[in-house]
Amino acid sequence: MGSNAPVACGVCEGKGLLTFKDGVWHDNPISIQILGICSALAVTNRLANALVMGGALVFVCAMSNLFVSFLRTVTPRRIRMIAEVAIIATFVIVFDQFLKAFYWEMSKQLGPYVGLIITNCIVMGRAEAFALQNRPVLSVVDGVANGLGYAAVLAVIGFIRELLGTGQVLGLTVLPPDWYTSNQVMILAPGAFFALGFVIAVSNMLKGPEPEENRP
Amino acid sequence: MKESLHTLAYAGMLGIVCALLLTGAGRLAAPYRHANEEAERVRNILGVLGVPFQEGASSQELVAAYGLNVSEEERGELTLYFYADREAEGSFRAVAAPFAGQGLWGPIRGFLALEPDMRTIRAITFYDQEETPGLGGEIGSAWFQDQFKGKSIEDAEGNPGLRIVGGGGASAQNEVDAITGATMTCGKVEEMLNATIALIGEETGADGQ
Repeated sequence: MGSNAPVACGVCEGKGLLTFKDGVWHDNPISIQILGICSALAVTNRLANALVMGGALVFVCAMSNLFVSFLRTVTPRRIRMIAEVAIIATFVIVFDQFLKAFYWEMSKQLGPYVGLIITNCIVMGRAEAFALQNRPVLSVVDGVANGLGYAAVLAVIGFIRELLGTGQVLGLTVLPPDWYTSNQVMILAPGAFFALGFVIAVSNMLKGPEPEENRP
Repeated sequence: MKESLHTLAYAGMLGIVCALLLTGAGRLAAPYRHANEEAERVRNILGVLGVPFQEGASSQELVAAYGLNVSEEERGELTLYFYADREAEGSFRAVAAPFAGQGLWGPIRGFLALEPDMRTIRAITFYDQEETPGLGGEIGSAWFQDQFKGKSIEDAEGNPGLRIVGGGGASAQNEVDAITGATMTCGKVEEMLNATIALIGEETGADGQ
């Protein structure tokens, strides 16, 4: 990863693009770190659900990283984790209220999974591993990148499952029922595992083998 | 000592800021959320009474259709929802009563709609339930709810009561088939429906009013 030349960016200390690429691709929270797969499996039976969930994570991850980073010098070490959880929970509930107010149907479809973002390892992980050591702007970049990395994988899984499971994309029929019999298993839980395994396999193939000792 | 004070002050400040943010968000969202909840309630009642409304109707349209067609009436501990017949003064096309009770995992709530004869079931809906998906959760599916349509809440001798019978043996006018593997849920649903049917009988009398 060190081979990439740092791109100049004042507030990000020249690490903005690198941080962004890491979150979305090189250190993708789902396909590389295998974090947050509970929600990735649960809400991806429809592409629209996956996109909203991805958006939620971008928002929560960016905001919690911003605040955790902003407070990093005054946060007492002993209670830093409970402080992180408090910050994360606040933004998750704000997003949940927003959905309930303006996207009622979507809020019902996602059910408890929006609230469960509080326990999503990605958000907590980024706060602990990145925001505590880095400046606010760079932390926001990291939060957005990891949120987008999560959203991208969810979108691909949601697309595959909705297409094969119902013959639709975003609710519009693209595979006519005359010649495509929708495969129910794809919208049930096993379909989520198939699609996730497939996505991880393809992303590892594209990346090529990486020797253990090269990992930082 | 100084460190502890700092920790306490930090925790206090963070708590206050988070609480303010949450209160603000909750306050801002509340009117919209309440409108959505009301529209949802109204949609369930309109649906079970068979009042026509458009699929993508907004909350205002739903509430308007509800106000135009449905009148609520308190009868003791029962609230009845009448679908008024606008062509014939004083008569109604259907009436719905809410039922609720404890299911296997959580509360079950729904509406039972009757034809004007107060005996024949027009429709049933379970709008709130957390039963086992694929088993008890099937009470939310169309095949289970559809088989109530046209059934009676009385047996052939006129005794009030509805039965959910296992083994596909439903034959009488007040019997519907149970869900295989969901004996507990079906038993509890039968119980809460019969409680409501008994209440309807008490509050409206046997003559249909």
